[in-house]
Amino acid sequence: MAPQTTRGERRPPAARDRVVAITGAFGFIGTNLLKYLDADQNYSRIVAIDIKKPAAPMERMRFYKVDLTHPASDAELIRIFKEEKVDTVVHLAFLGNPQHNLQWAHELEVIGTLKALTACAYSGVGKFLMWSVTMVYGAHPSNPNFLTEAHPKRGAPGVSFVNDKLEAENEALTFAAKHPETIVTVLRTCTILGPTVNNVVTGALSRNPVPVLMGFDPLFQFVHEVDVVDAFKLALDHDFPGDFNIVGDGVMPLSTVLKLAGKVPLPLPYPVAKRIFSAVWSAQFTHVPPGFLDYFRYLWVADGGKARSRMKFTPKYSTKEALLNFVGTQRLRHVHLID
Amino acid sequence: MTELDKTIRGNADAAVGTAKAAAPKRRPRKKTPRAASPAAECEKAETPAATAQGDATTGGTAVPKPEEGAPGEGIVAEVLESIGGLGEELMETAGRVRSHSFVNIAGNLLSAARDLLTLDYYGRRLGELSLKDRSGEVDEFGLDERYWAKIQPLYEFLFYKYWRVALKGLANVPVKGRAILVANHAGTFAFDGVMLRVAVQNEHTAKRDVRFLVEDFIYHLPFAGTFMNRIGGVRACQENAERLLERGTAIATFPEGIQGVGKLFHDRYKLQRFGRGGVTKLAIRTKSPIVPVAIIGNEEIYPLLGKITRFAEPFGVPYIPLTPTFPWLGPLGLVPAPVKWAIHFGRPIDYSKYPVDSADDTVLVNKLTENLRARIQQMVVELLGERRSLFRG
Repeated sequence: MAPQTTRGERRPPAARDRVVAITGAFGFIGTNLLKYLDADQNYSRIVAIDIKKPAAPMERMRFYKVDLTHPASDAELIRIFKEEKVDTVVHLAFLGNPQHNLQWAHELEVIGTLKALTACAYSGVGKFLMWSVTMVYGAHPSNPNFLTEAHPKRGAPGVSFVNDKLEAENEALTFAAKHPETIVTVLRTCTILGPTVNNVVTGALSRNPVPVLMGFDPLFQFVHEVDVVDAFKLALDHDFPGDFNIVGDGVMPLSTVLKLAGKVPLPLPYPVAKRIFSAVWSAQFTHVPPGFLDYFRYLWVADGGKARSRMKFTPKYSTKEALLNFVGTQRLRHVHLID
Repeated sequence: MTELDKTIRGNADAAVGTAKAAAPKRRPRKKTPRAASPAAECEKAETPAATAQGDATTGGTAVPKPEEGAPGEGIVAEVLESIGGLGEELMETAGRVRSHSFVNIAGNLLSAARDLLTLDYYGRRLGELSLKDRSGEVDEFGLDERYWAKIQPLYEFLFYKYWRVALKGLANVPVKGRAILVANHAGTFAFDGVMLRVAVQNEHTAKRDVRFLVEDFIYHLPFAGTFMNRIGGVRACQENAERLLERGTAIATFPEGIQGVGKLFHDRYKLQRFGRGGVTKLAIRTKSPIVPVAIIGNEEIYPLLGKITRFAEPFGVPYIPLTPTFPWLGPLGLVPAPVKWAIHFGRPIDYSKYPVDSADDTVLVNKLTENLRARIQQMVVELLGERRSLFRG
């Protein structure tokens, strides 16, 4: 697997001459971050690692095809990191949507993170930045209205999509405690909305009517995709060890979300909904596991105060603005004004 | 239809106006039709009474009698013409009305019916209905101002008319800044939180907002948790309380918790343990004054004779209350008793002299908490001593 340089000649060394490796580079955050970094002179090389091939070549990008679920992929990562003199790894090889193949998902998210961390330790990478989701806090009726980074992450019972991410995150934080020389940053995003993103919530918001749980109207928060990419760029440019919640300002009840999105709620009593979703999930007709229903029942709003004060991260879009932007784009797409 | 009515009425008025204008002013209108027809003239001749009447009228107005002649005939023709015109106009209006009713209304009905057949219509209606009384924005704890405005009159009715809450020492609630109102808790459905909110919001000089902390179990239940959030309740936990206090909000809390709400009738006004002293820790840590509040009346609105815990779990509630009326009268049994309430706000207790880390000093916290409980207990006993009648205060 030879490095596929997108252009033959070497670029002149930039001001800081940094080399960043991105795992899962052609996922949603990765694709956008790549473009962002490619335009920044401080980054001399961007090593893209994914199982997909890049859609378009980029000036400073080098692509390596590595499958993190492959048993020998850690050795491969060490080789690449050493060869390319990578100083920072952005670990984004996570699933945006729940999968039915739970074993494979576990292999990718948990074991994959472990491999990436090992590779960092053995190749002298100074900084490890990874993506996680605020879903790892779990939706519980006993949650405070705003979950800070200090609050225990309880995960979601029976939802391995969430629990795998929690495990991966814990591995990274354990690694950070063992390797104080490496800066480990975990950016935990809430539901991302925007014109191009595709996840469980955008999926739920693009059909009509939307099933909701009768008598429950939890508060939701969203972060705009632009802000997410900005937060990653910020954490790359500067060093912020620790975990941070990346969320938009403000909260909104689910009913208002549906109203603004022009959707009709279909209220189902929880026991009924649980049975329906269990059956549909078992029949593999949906990617939404039944344990997800709790996220439509209880609070799981995270507090973005730490990112605001330490990282000086100020989201450009509030929860409402992110939603309206998403809805607006959906409408344009609906009439084929945009792709 | 109202538009149509107006048109018709307008046309009719106009018609009457033309008739009036056309009829000679000198002569009452009653006379004209008679004069107009030869048959009426015969009649006139045959019935002297009528003639006499006619004469009397004409005599009264003292105008020349209309004899058969050119001017009289001219008037008659004019009148006839005007009547004919009126008829035509009426016919025209009627035609217009008919066209309105049969074509337009039918058309409207048809399109409405067609609309009724689409799923989209019901979706739209449902969407409108579900958000009818809701504002587009809520505060960070889910308080919906518009929803509260809608529901407020009900609580104001309970406050002013039903329980006729008497207030004492309201000035002890700070005008601004953080404050913790600590009160005794009772009443199965815990109306006391909202009543404190109404009291301070409506009667306090600063008209300030009070957010009350709500038991955990409420949030397990459908509807109840959502409702509590919309009207300003916040789940009771240290994180939420601290966040509210940091914003300079006044909060109301009931440290007896579920033990307080579930007091049996014969245990009323015996304050239960104040949890694990969370409220004192909160006050020390956030340097907030505690305003002790005693409420009487709330412990008698639902005289709790017993409670069933065995079958409560499937309903997600800690117990099923047994009162003299519930569950025997069904939902009607949930109507609270119209007991007179009294609320006494005591002098604020300052905890700022304790260093922040003394919140971890269990012995100190226990002592302070017990002092606070004893103080509120004493205030309750005082209020009860002042009360002459359960219903009249």
